[in-house]
Amino acid sequence: MILCVGPETPARERTAAALADAGFDVAEAGSLAAARDALDAHAVECVVTEYDLDDGTGLDLVEAARERHPDAACVLFTATPLAEVDTGAFGSLVAEYVRKDGEHGELVDVVEHALAFRSQTAYPLPDDEGARVAALEQYAADPAELGASLDRLTELATALFGVDAAAVGIIDAHTEEFLSCHGISFDTMDREDTVCTYAILDDGVTVIEDVQADPRFEDDEGLAAANIRFYASAPLVTPDGQAIGTFCIYDDEPRGFDGRDRELLSLLGDEAMEQLSLRRRVRDAGGDGDD
Amino acid sequence: MTDNYGFEEVPLASLRPGTTVLVAGPSHAGTRHLAFRMLSGPPDEGAILVSTNQRAGRIADDWARSGFDLDADRAAILDCVGDDDQNVPAQVLSVSGPSDLTGIGMRYSDVYRTFRESGVERVRTGLFSVSTLLSFGDLQTVSRFVHTLVGRIDAVDGIGVFCIDPGMHDEQTVSTITQFCSARIDVRETDTGQQLRARGVPDQPREWVDFDVSE
Repeated sequence: MILCVGPETPARERTAAALADAGFDVAEAGSLAAARDALDAHAVECVVTEYDLDDGTGLDLVEAARERHPDAACVLFTATPLAEVDTGAFGSLVAEYVRKDGEHGELVDVVEHALAFRSQTAYPLPDDEGARVAALEQYAADPAELGASLDRLTELATALFGVDAAAVGIIDAHTEEFLSCHGISFDTMDREDTVCTYAILDDGVTVIEDVQADPRFEDDEGLAAANIRFYASAPLVTPDGQAIGTFCIYDDEPRGFDGRDRELLSLLGDEAMEQLSLRRRVRDAGGDGDD
Repeated sequence: MTDNYGFEEVPLASLRPGTTVLVAGPSHAGTRHLAFRMLSGPPDEGAILVSTNQRAGRIADDWARSGFDLDADRAAILDCVGDDDQNVPAQVLSVSGPSDLTGIGMRYSDVYRTFRESGVERVRTGLFSVSTLLSFGDLQTVSRFVHTLVGRIDAVDGIGVFCIDPGMHDEQTVSTITQFCSARIDVRETDTGQQLRARGVPDQPREWVDFDVSE
């Protein structure tokens, strides 16, 4: 969903129509307040906004969008010259700028590319992210269904490694959803806030002996609040080689993790993936999968 | 599909349009001169240089000394240091500072469009350097900026040359920035001179090769 925002109705409608003609779902808002409501109501993947909104600026809106939907691509589409756009107070937002001149070709190009390549995320993506997300959809699982079998594995993992907690997470386009947690409780998390987002870029097991000493996570309040210091994970890899999630373990103290530990964690990851694959096969075969 | 971007006097295979290269090396003359050379294309190409820690006049001088004929029709400098420089043979756009990543990105998009409107379709983009941005902003913010700029360069079939001094950052930081770029060139100094080693550049040997960018 693209949220198209501007105070002047005819101009906004023309922009929204150009984006709709390019095949996008578009919602419109005429003010910052209305746009904020729309951010709460929709899964907004892209914001196209004028700079001057009567009750604020387009950059105020980008700030709100990034809080609600951190991966959203944001484009300032305005006739306001850059010299009059106060970026200094919003230096860390990062957004595209397309000068509005009555044409919409450049805007549509920028939006199409930003959405196809998800190029405004604050974290790196796997090379074949599109194929990865597509593969993931085939393994969509109901946590309630899978709960017991994965819960056994996460409980075994905490005992095996002597750590506080273990979890199985699935990383979709924008969030990580946890199918099982033992010793810790995670709600669905924005992808930019999770260690697993980075771990799926590695081949094999990822070990971060001290999470808070790692520049990728030192400002991550969620990890600090959960008192996570040690992290290790094995990827859940589909038969086609796509890493769709992780089997991860956590502890509140930094620690080492030797070669044998890595092997064992890999086995747990493989076993969790096997569970997901079996559920998929049962579902494909027409079973109800909740036996 | 447009032609690859080639490099003169640098032992480096040409790059496919859309490629951004991270040039990683100590921030002394060798690394910077290599990056200047990579940024300096034939007369029908434009170049946009984001200067995070040197004012436009000085970086224009360094760039010219590397052999590039600056010309306001095809060269632009985004100056994050902010001093007004007169008589620089390039379009100079001021940004309030290296922490204003939003301003840098938006001015970049605007000046790119100015080039395209004047018929300059092929543009090389330099970012000198990611290290400065990292000293003013956190890794995640700089990551989003780098990702967005890499995406923009890809969208317009340009090439990007981003400099980083790996000695200033820990390994995870450099590796994260590398993950946004499609190729990486490491630069090192040996007893006999400068060497570079490329990764992710098709048709380029993966070993260290000597290069000479003396003036």
